[in-house]
Amino acid sequence: MVKDKMKEIKNKKLAGMTMAASILIMGITLSGCLGEEGTILRTTGATFPQYQIQKWIDVYHESHPDVKIEYEGGGSGHGQDAFLNGLTQIGRSDPPVKEDTWNKFLGTGDQPLQFPEVVGAVVISYNVPGVSNLNLSKDAIVGIFIGDIEYWDNSIIKQSNPGVNLPHNKIIVIHRSDSSGTTSIFTTYLSVISDEWANKVGAGKTVEWPADSMGRGLAGKGNPGVVATLKQTDYSICYTELSFAIEENLPTASIENKNGEYIKPTDQTIQAAVAGVKSYIPSPTEGYTENLEQLLNAPGNHSYPIVAFTHLLVWQNNGCRHYSSDEAAAIKDFLEWVLTEGQKPENMAPGYVGLPSEVTQIGLNAVNSINDGC
Amino acid sequence: MSVSNFRKAKEKAFLIAVGITTLIAILPLFHIIATVLMNGLPPIVAKGPVFITGTLSEGGIGPAIVGTFMLTFLSSLIGLPIAFLVGVYAYEYPKSAIGRLTKALLQIMLEFPTILVGVFVMDIIAIPMGTYSAFAGAFALAIILMPYVAVYTHEAMRQIPFTYREASFGLGLTKFKAVFRVLVPVSKRGIMTGVLIGMAKVAGETAPLLFTTGGLYQSYPHSISQPVGAIPLLIYTLVQSPSASDHAMAWGASLVLLLIFLAVFIPIRRSLKEVKL
Amino acid sequence: MAQKISEKVSEILGKIKTCMGFQKKGNKVDSFKLITSPAVLFVLALFAGMLIVYFYNAMPAFNREGLSVYLKDVWRAVENPSEEYYGLASAIWGSIYTSMIAILVALPLSIAYSIFVVDYAPKRIKNTLIITSDVMAGLPTIIYGIWGAFVLVPFLKDYVMTPLHRYLSFIPIFSYPPITGFSYFSAGILLGIMVTPFASAIIREAYQMTPFAYREAAFSVGMTRYEATKVMLGYIKPAMFSGVILAFGRAIGETVAVSLVIGNTFNLSANLFAPGYTISSLIANQFGNAFIYSHMLPVLYAAGLALFFIGLLVNSAGLYLLRRWEKNVSI
Repeated sequence: MVKDKMKEIKNKKLAGMTMAASILIMGITLSGCLGEEGTILRTTGATFPQYQIQKWIDVYHESHPDVKIEYEGGGSGHGQDAFLNGLTQIGRSDPPVKEDTWNKFLGTGDQPLQFPEVVGAVVISYNVPGVSNLNLSKDAIVGIFIGDIEYWDNSIIKQSNPGVNLPHNKIIVIHRSDSSGTTSIFTTYLSVISDEWANKVGAGKTVEWPADSMGRGLAGKGNPGVVATLKQTDYSICYTELSFAIEENLPTASIENKNGEYIKPTDQTIQAAVAGVKSYIPSPTEGYTENLEQLLNAPGNHSYPIVAFTHLLVWQNNGCRHYSSDEAAAIKDFLEWVLTEGQKPENMAPGYVGLPSEVTQIGLNAVNSINDGC
Repeated sequence: MSVSNFRKAKEKAFLIAVGITTLIAILPLFHIIATVLMNGLPPIVAKGPVFITGTLSEGGIGPAIVGTFMLTFLSSLIGLPIAFLVGVYAYEYPKSAIGRLTKALLQIMLEFPTILVGVFVMDIIAIPMGTYSAFAGAFALAIILMPYVAVYTHEAMRQIPFTYREASFGLGLTKFKAVFRVLVPVSKRGIMTGVLIGMAKVAGETAPLLFTTGGLYQSYPHSISQPVGAIPLLIYTLVQSPSASDHAMAWGASLVLLLIFLAVFIPIRRSLKEVKL
Repeated sequence: MAQKISEKVSEILGKIKTCMGFQKKGNKVDSFKLITSPAVLFVLALFAGMLIVYFYNAMPAFNREGLSVYLKDVWRAVENPSEEYYGLASAIWGSIYTSMIAILVALPLSIAYSIFVVDYAPKRIKNTLIITSDVMAGLPTIIYGIWGAFVLVPFLKDYVMTPLHRYLSFIPIFSYPPITGFSYFSAGILLGIMVTPFASAIIREAYQMTPFAYREAAFSVGMTRYEATKVMLGYIKPAMFSGVILAFGRAIGETVAVSLVIGNTFNLSANLFAPGYTISSLIANQFGNAFIYSHMLPVLYAAGLALFFIGLLVNSAGLYLLRRWEKNVSI
């Protein structure tokens, strides 16, 4: 009897203490005792550059400890939506904004600015036991993903890979299940190099993969999902971002580029591609005119065909409509840093490549035009 | 003779079957705890106390922990009273149209995808306010909390044998006194179970916070009308990154979440004394 | 004079309050209704608000595609707005299928658990079991999701799905080759594990509260514990209904955990081992980018409404069954 009562008291005490602790924490927080002063910036949207943006935030924080930049994901669509509604200061979008969305931006009475901040690549990765080097011609790539090529030892694949022991196994095609900028870039690339793909499947953030209806398709959620599926599935092939392939030590195929060369995705080959297409990047005030197709399959002997640009969205802050003086100044400083210091190799995250100076200049001009005199 | 032996055998078989099934029902929890411990302890140990008190740039999840407490507390403040009263009302007037309607609606609200609740709150609170906020997040969580607490309250009170009602009214108590002074305390355990389960559930929610709170991990939250972070939300973001250190941090954060949850939940649950009938 | 006026005023107020049901005839205020009604009204208003917002946002999808947005299995999200076309059939199927599997798993587990806890467990184990179950109910779903994806799925794939497929693939539901393990089956099992505690809590409390008199009566006619238990279970049928409906609702609304184990593929098949989609995980996956397309957002809201309709159906069925049961039994 007494024991029970003592136990009850002990439990009630424990419960009471935990409740008290919780309320204490709440109280301290709300009274701001733990808080520090400083500017808080927020960037929202595309998850493709997540790794790179977080690295930039960390490095910038070391030299600017009183500026706190919050990273938020949610996808390019959410980034554009949040940017439009003023829920975030710097939007991130993989694909360039469409015209009617751009008009909605303009409808707030301010001028939106869009420019690329980093470049990545979409790579083709594979899991074929015994094969560590693979060349894929344009026909091979299209054939595999459209479902016409069923086995690894198909003659089209063999043609570009003399001396490689390709097994007679069915090719399992792994793609994204969720809406994805990576898919969008990859399918746009396929549409560019193949009319058959453009007509039969088309480009988009999600598409109907022909391999699914043949029972040879698998979907993974997010790049981590795709990569995990690839690792578990022998004789499979997938497309993913370079940063994931590097982090997970996956083999990447050498892809036939516009000039007929087989190119592996490396810093140099990506930069060569960017140099080949930089003239197609529009002025920041006309971001909606950017055409994804023009940036793919770049000319040049050393260009990697599937490069992926990702963009930042900021307001010009006309009439101080969106940012306060402090915020605008902080944004300008941060973005300037991103486009100059941030592009240096030591500040690049694996899988991302810095922009050439002609391209960063586009962004810098835009950032300079942000109004911070409120 | 064989009939009674057969019945005895059924009795034994039943006991064994029930015992094993119960074991299967609770085994996953221990496995989950073990897995989270195995994967989450190394990163925390490697970082040290900074993991708990530091901001994200310092390698810690401190702001997220505070955010989770804030959101759970706020959403309970908003949701518990309302849900409790609704549950009691549905119990008192089971035949009335409104009573039945409310109970049915609550069960339906239980099934709403949590992400759409978040979108709804974003539309009616975050966008008009012009900013993400703890309040918006708490409101979304409250909407998710309410059906659980209301349904459990209703169920708990429904189990009270009719004799207690008869006795209370026989003594001349008003409906208010009868319900709140007699019947509710009798079903206290069932109701508190619902409250705890509801609160614990919303503390671990991710989807409703996606478009309402915004996330705050570089500094500690100051006010409820500003963005705030939460541990599940942070885990969700970290899991999508390619970097292995982010994944390790996600497991570590999961362990922290688990420990907080257990530390708060278990003592309170144990202190609820059983009501003997 | 002033007194007469104030009397008149309180008389009028009293009449208004009686009209609204707050007050019985005379001067006594029904404080019960006074306190609970605002809460009920708030919930009703909230619910109405949500429905209105969802309907309003889903309207464009209905206008453009009509009911085929629910009946077709297609998902064409292309750059050209006029070619966009969406159908939710496989997501709807996936939600229902996985939730049914979840209930099939959860019901026996929670009933067995409740019986064991109330009837057989010695006191110390009893408390531990109860707390364990409640802990499982509150465990953050993302932890379930991560555990499900990294532990449960490989386990199920290697020890359950592959053998079943190897020996029993002539049975249609086992005929899909389990390559990654992400499937309706895995999602159903994970959901079953997740919703069992919810059903258990209700059934356990109900079973505990059954008056001892009934059990005594059963023993007095010579029943074994097993047979007495069967009788008692019949007594708590309403709680079992509630438990099942709660579990179903919980399962069908689950987003994060399911999206990590179901494979997220558009697939309309009853094959247990095939990957699929549920409405919740579809919305979660596609919402972040829906803004970019002209016609996807309304479809996602329509998907949410589908869940509402399903919920309505299930709850009505539950209420009907409950009403029939209550006619025959009085407590």
